[in-house]
Amino acid sequence: MRTTIPAGNLAATGVVPGFPSAGRIVARGSTVLALLGALAIWLALLGPFAVLIQHLSLHSIRAALGPPGALDPLWVSLGASAIALGVMVLLGTPLAYLLARGRLPLARLVELGILLPLMMPPLVIGLLLIFLIGPEGTLGNLLADIHLTGVNTFFALIVAEFYEAAPFYILGAHAAFASVDPRIEQDATLLGDRPLQAFRRITLPLAAPGLATGLATAWARAMGAFGAVIIVAYYPRGLPNQIFIAFQEFGLSGALPFALLLVVAALPLPILAYLWSARTRSRVAGVEAP
Amino acid sequence: MSSAPASLLEVDLEVERRQITVRAGFGLEAGERLAIFGTSGAGKTTILESIAGLTRLNRGNVRIGGDLVAGKAKGEAALEPRQRRVALVRQPTTLFPHLTVEENVAYGIRRSPARGGVTELLERLGLTMLARARGAALSGGQRQRVALGRALASPFRVLLLDEPYSAVDVAAREALRLLTIETCKEREAAGILVTHDLAEAQAFGGRLGIIDSGRLLQMGGPLEVVLSPLSRRVAQLVGYGGFVPVPAVANRFYAIHPDRVILGEVPERGLVLSGTIRSTRPFGPRYECTVAQRSGEQFTIHLDEPAVAGEECTLTVLDPPIVVA
Repeated sequence: MRTTIPAGNLAATGVVPGFPSAGRIVARGSTVLALLGALAIWLALLGPFAVLIQHLSLHSIRAALGPPGALDPLWVSLGASAIALGVMVLLGTPLAYLLARGRLPLARLVELGILLPLMMPPLVIGLLLIFLIGPEGTLGNLLADIHLTGVNTFFALIVAEFYEAAPFYILGAHAAFASVDPRIEQDATLLGDRPLQAFRRITLPLAAPGLATGLATAWARAMGAFGAVIIVAYYPRGLPNQIFIAFQEFGLSGALPFALLLVVAALPLPILAYLWSARTRSRVAGVEAP
Repeated sequence: MSSAPASLLEVDLEVERRQITVRAGFGLEAGERLAIFGTSGAGKTTILESIAGLTRLNRGNVRIGGDLVAGKAKGEAALEPRQRRVALVRQPTTLFPHLTVEENVAYGIRRSPARGGVTELLERLGLTMLARARGAALSGGQRQRVALGRALASPFRVLLLDEPYSAVDVAAREALRLLTIETCKEREAAGILVTHDLAEAQAFGGRLGIIDSGRLLQMGGPLEVVLSPLSRRVAQLVGYGGFVPVPAVANRFYAIHPDRVILGEVPERGLVLSGTIRSTRPFGPRYECTVAQRSGEQFTIHLDEPAVAGEECTLTVLDPPIVVA
């Protein structure tokens, strides 16, 4: 903003016509600093990807991923993450909605319960899961009745991935629902919608970009879940475990092809979700997206 | 269902708000309209949201066609929102931002034959060119038209309007007002409009209610309430600017409306007063003058000709209502 200063006051303010004021120099300086900071963070964040590409050779990729059964960890990770995500959406979406609308009793306590797995080191979650769903655990006994074992099974992998990833989806969905004005939901019901219809026609489309972002983050977390997984589900071997084992056995060159595979498998969904939600947001905001 | 309803809409409610307690009691017949006029914060929006059944009442209830819509009654559950057939136009307007103008307007239409009317409605609202635009691309006035259209297109029994034309340019208001009134009549629906614009409230027709600090102070015909306010507060709200004590009667005042004063002494037309012109300023095409009486009472009047400050004058206040303090 520019303010007009009467000529008589120029000497007093130290502003000389034709020269940029001290304030403007500071403003320009801080813009340059912010740009440099953004560039540095961007490079720092993208650095590992660049290194990954740089250190991979076609030969090492073929050697690692060529043998029969080498892609099995990929299918295990994809399957377990997809199921974990399905459960998350099924249970987490109503929870997030009720939380966002303040319709849950002891909401703060529920929120704390969602945050807890996020704040705990994944390794510790893994240890505690053994107590909970392991053969000797409280729930483990009940699971045994339905022939499920909570250690070193596909089921255990799903549970571990769920614990590591679910908070990201639920918190994302909570924020997405909270951003939808409850008054327009009321408007939809006054115009004849049943509550579920209003949810489908109004709330869901408006919250969709936020839901997609939450889902994508959770997907990336589930695919990359390692800390809890290595404790409760060393087998069946998912991709993160495979990377760790290959690293231990063959060093960096053996691990990098699987790292690439994980990135290639985990990233497209988040990137697509990001692009789609950015497009949808701008469309709702009335700005045409490119 | 209760026994035969007295009116289409029956309102008897009390709602606690942070600053005020809102109380209202009235009934509206099918096809009848009520405009509620008051300053902002008087409780107008609360009354509308309560009638729509969106606010929890502290006491009383709201019935539409005899069915409970808000509040409690023994052995009776309130109608679900979708069964109430209440159309609400809010302030600020709440559109469905991801839908086009046309989709917004057609939102409440359930049967496909009625959808044919949307094109005509969009035309009458001046929205044909914007049918495919989304909410964020619209101006405030256009948004209000869409919200009004969405309400009018739905099969309502009760129409609730919260400052529905405030952002619409004055030239277009008359058409929207006519469309609203016409639709209310056709549907034999009850209509309630709340506004802080007295002329808008009067133009809505039907009855006029004055609300202040959560209480409906007076209800009556749109001209009757303005010409015969019962209390000093109502008189102030509808534009009376001066109050002269009635001789020998305690707590009673003649209320002076700036537009109901003529220069000169015409005792058969009202109350004759004399005073000194304190100041004069332009007021639209006329002049606004502050007059001081000898007793010290000051009031403003509107005149066709400018009066000179300091001049003594004699005025006739046309049939001034007598109000209680």
